[in-house]
Amino acid sequence: MSQTVAKLIDTTLCIGCKACEVACQEWNDQEFTLGTFGGTYQTMPSLASNFWNLIKFNEIERDGQLSWLMSKYQCMHCADAGCMRACPAPGAIVRLENGTVDFAHDNCIGCGYCITGCPFDVPRLSPVTKKVYKCTLCSDRTAVGLTPACIKTCPTNCLTFGSRDELLRMAESRAEELKSDGHKDAGVYNPEGVGGTNVLYVLKESSNPQLYGLPKDPQIPWTVALWKGPVKWLGTAVMLGGILGTFFHFIRYGPKDHD
Amino acid sequence: MDQKITTRIPRFSAAERITHWMAALCFLYTALTGLSMWSRKLFWIATIFGGGETVRALHPWGGLLFSAALGIMFLRWRKRMAVDADDIAWLKQSHKYATNVKEGLPEVGEFNGGQKMLFWMQTVFTLLLLVTGAVLWFPSEMPSALRLGAVLLHPLAAIGSIGGIIVHIYMGTAAVPGALRSMTRGYVSEEWAAAHHPKWLRQIPKS
Repeated sequence: MSQTVAKLIDTTLCIGCKACEVACQEWNDQEFTLGTFGGTYQTMPSLASNFWNLIKFNEIERDGQLSWLMSKYQCMHCADAGCMRACPAPGAIVRLENGTVDFAHDNCIGCGYCITGCPFDVPRLSPVTKKVYKCTLCSDRTAVGLTPACIKTCPTNCLTFGSRDELLRMAESRAEELKSDGHKDAGVYNPEGVGGTNVLYVLKESSNPQLYGLPKDPQIPWTVALWKGPVKWLGTAVMLGGILGTFFHFIRYGPKDHD
Repeated sequence: MDQKITTRIPRFSAAERITHWMAALCFLYTALTGLSMWSRKLFWIATIFGGGETVRALHPWGGLLFSAALGIMFLRWRKRMAVDADDIAWLKQSHKYATNVKEGLPEVGEFNGGQKMLFWMQTVFTLLLLVTGAVLWFPSEMPSALRLGAVLLHPLAAIGSIGGIIVHIYMGTAAVPGALRSMTRGYVSEEWAAAHHPKWLRQIPKS
């Protein structure tokens, strides 16, 4: 039984070198498609089906000074994953023993329901293959004991990979350290609404994760929860009830003979 | 019902029958493939129809064709499906119809209140399915708010539509002998018309 693994992102240590973006593209053998230039230092405005890891240069103004709040945008590998809830194809989204949420493209039918189920807006439909892609937490590396490519390449120790429990402890103590350094709002981002994530952040401004492009209280959308819960029972009741009801109606009352 | 029909009363024209069965076949395909993408437990239906990717690609086209056939039926029948006071009275007494009690029901015209309800139900549900289906068809192009609404409304409309059709199939086959022939061969017997649609029978000019 392997333990749950996680990725820790200490946003205070990110220098925006984007080496993790390059490593991700390299390891996953993806071509880079030029995006639009939005006047920022960011490589792309958002993720793409062939671009799974984006360093965000979130610009904020503090005391008249421009400042960057760096963050890393990728699949969060939620404990209660909205994509898995929404997916209709058996085996298309799987949870590995180490907690990774991985897409099995042989089984993906390209409906895109996972895109709607995801509270972090991560999966992207490829117009070429008509299948959905996202960060795999380098499941092909972790399976043989290697660390994910982004972590391997990070030059500042901003990224750490390992046992989730251990990383949570590390994250907490790093947040305490930041607090004692005067960053009173420092904290750990591990949203409870999705049962916690296997990607953890240390944020200097943890009460405002939106500043980092992270949702404040991510949940599986309520329409998705309804659709995959009560609506299913309702549908089953209507369809089974309709078939059985008409059958027994016939048995009880018989046909409307006109003679 | 098996006795020889002496007087054939035409009920549905060839064009109406072809449109109806076009809609029926498209409905069958779209409903079954839709169910296969509704629940992982029903995914085996997708296997029958050529696999998940095929079903994902063709289900929207099936829905478009169904909507087109239903659109034709709507244009053709909407006036004849107008609900009048007799229909309302009939619908209020429909529990008698459902339990085969003949007394106390108003006389029925070309279509009874139940048939008219089905017509308008399917019109509304199909419109809903068409709009929400267009949203689900192109997930990358559609804003999240629309998709979040569509994932809920699309199955709800489908459940209503399938529920209505289950009753429709039962009424058109086992429950009312002679009804199916009106939609396959196009005619009914005089006795059938007198029993089920007397007001309509009187309106038909005697040849």
